[in-house]
Amino acid sequence: MNHILDIALNDLVQIVRDRKVFLFLLIMPICFTLLFGYAFGGFSSGGDSDPRLPVAVLDEDDGRFSQELFALLKGSEVIRIETDLEKSRFDYEKALSDGDLAGIVTIPAGYSQAMLDGQPIPLDLWADQASTTGTTVQNEVLMAAKRLASAVWTAQITSQAAGKTADFDALVSEALLAWQEPPIRIEATSGVVAEEEPSQSVMSMAHTAPGMILQFAIASLLTAAQVIVSERKSRCLQRLLTTATQRVHILMGHFLSIFAMLFTQFMLLIVFGQFILKVDYLRLPGATLLVAVASVLCIAAMGLLIGVLAKSEEQAVMFSLIPMFVLSGLGGAWVPLEFTGAAFQTIGHASPIAWAMDGFKNIIVRGLGLESIWLPVAALVGYAVVFFGLAAWRFRSE
Amino acid sequence: MQPAIEVQNLHKSFGELKAVDGASFNVPQGEIYSLLGPNGAGKTTTISMLSTLLRPDSGDALVMGHSIRKDPMGVKSVLGVVPQDIALYEDLSARENLTFWGKMYGLRGAALKQRVDEVLEIIGLTDRQKGRVSKFSGGMKRRVNIGVALLHKPKVIYMDEPTVGIDPQSRRSILDSVIALKNAGMTVLYTTHYMEEAQELSDQITIMDHGKLIASGTHDELVKIVGQMDRIRLTINAEGARVVTAWKSTPGVKQVTAEDGTLNLLVDDSNQVLPRLFDAATTSGVRITSVDIQLPNLEAVFLHLTGRALRD
Repeated sequence: MNHILDIALNDLVQIVRDRKVFLFLLIMPICFTLLFGYAFGGFSSGGDSDPRLPVAVLDEDDGRFSQELFALLKGSEVIRIETDLEKSRFDYEKALSDGDLAGIVTIPAGYSQAMLDGQPIPLDLWADQASTTGTTVQNEVLMAAKRLASAVWTAQITSQAAGKTADFDALVSEALLAWQEPPIRIEATSGVVAEEEPSQSVMSMAHTAPGMILQFAIASLLTAAQVIVSERKSRCLQRLLTTATQRVHILMGHFLSIFAMLFTQFMLLIVFGQFILKVDYLRLPGATLLVAVASVLCIAAMGLLIGVLAKSEEQAVMFSLIPMFVLSGLGGAWVPLEFTGAAFQTIGHASPIAWAMDGFKNIIVRGLGLESIWLPVAALVGYAVVFFGLAAWRFRSE
Repeated sequence: MQPAIEVQNLHKSFGELKAVDGASFNVPQGEIYSLLGPNGAGKTTTISMLSTLLRPDSGDALVMGHSIRKDPMGVKSVLGVVPQDIALYEDLSARENLTFWGKMYGLRGAALKQRVDEVLEIIGLTDRQKGRVSKFSGGMKRRVNIGVALLHKPKVIYMDEPTVGIDPQSRRSILDSVIALKNAGMTVLYTTHYMEEAQELSDQITIMDHGKLIASGTHDELVKIVGQMDRIRLTINAEGARVVTAWKSTPGVKQVTAEDGTLNLLVDDSNQVLPRLFDAATTSGVRITSVDIQLPNLEAVFLHLTGRALRD
């Protein structure tokens, strides 16, 4: 056991003294996480402080019920009213076409009177109905308008029944209040997808951040493989084999150092993702830790195998580049597998990266529980055992 | 007393190449035993098998009673190896290297620290112990390379061409340290292709060529193989074939070999034979451009046994 720790520490001391390693292990992953997050729609307008969809409301009626509608929309949990008296209609239309607004609602003149007459006139809604965002805005606005119309209608019936003594305004307010505490409430829950969806930028980062962690962990295979290749090149590996140190201890010592290096990288990037990019890794910290450990075990074993197989630095580079591109691409580290077809998703799961992505996304994107990570973790540990076994078998003839 | 190393009919081939072909020899405890031969003779392969890095195709060897086949860990526990190539971590200091290797040899704590201090003193690098090995000269690296093998005070130490490619001063220092190891009671198996090193250091020498042991004994015993013959190296201004036949039939000449414009001759008495060689050359129309006379030595023995010079 002492020899394993001694060899691991010896590796780590040499790795730490190489400043280039920090560039690959930490700086580049952070830069690429930000870059890919931006590319997939992160940092959209509105920022992360209010995740609701921005919608402009133009009140051409300026009547009692148009103000009630405005108040209803202002209280929405889905849309956020953009009001800027300095802006013209043209400005809002430009903002909509630039993607800075999710929709424009115009309350036409005569809206309030038409409501009182029992002949409500439709709102003028501009939104991209081909997109999820547009239909969400449309549903939210129409729902508010229907609530208001129902409240007015209810108040009119009640007023007629009560006679002149009834306060029509109070009846309308009471009817609207009733929507907030309805006698019957239907709640739809799902075991798969969380009801509350975070903002677009956070969602894109939730896809990107674990992908980049895995991508750069795979890229660190080269550093990992070089640990053994360099030792062989310097003849120290052969010298180690002349000491009374067992071969399996030598292998495990190197594996431990690679594991420690990659795990440190994982933890730093998870902390960066959690606190800077607002990716919710800590929703289930134990599950995140388990997926991270299993992922690192798998990638470290792969690095060990490459180090044992590669007889030169050139071979180490070549053997590392293949999994770096193939496994990362196939496993959804660059583009989420959800964007691909069923066949590609099945093929992609031949890559351990796909299982690692599943594990992370089950926690941070799909909002699932601890039970959802057991299969990905088992798959990753299985890959790790196979890779380590192959490395040990090959190392016997070193 | 049981020999420190007993080698019994070792064989090792790489494809068609027989790297070691039936090597058998004994190394008595407390002696310096040299394997002398040119590059490719099979010395390093022999050392690799004796240090359990390579498994022999057949045969066995006992190192302090431990079989290299049946008890490789036992062999490693009594063994220190100084490899032909420098085997050190370049990004670590001399002290860090020695400390790491000391741990690999099972040393810990105060004992390790004390032994590292002693070894630094032995190799003369106490003042440079904190310097990174990558900044060291070739000679200094060689000294650390040797120091690593001394850490656990092994009973047997293998040194595989430890003086290759270093300056004369470092070479002298290493040769002195080998003698010091012997005086400290260690058994040293030393490989070299430098005749002078084998001659100066060794209690016994085995000459190897093409994987075979072609002669063994003390320096004096080996030199007797060529009797009192002198060795003459001549260069001429023409093709050697024009004069070789004439020189072979010259009285007193025992052997003539030609290599790359140089003619090597083994002769009974160079004083008597040289005038005859000049006469024969003149008769053949050849001009002798240089003459080098050497008294009987291991070079002459190798030439006598193989027909080739040792340095080739």
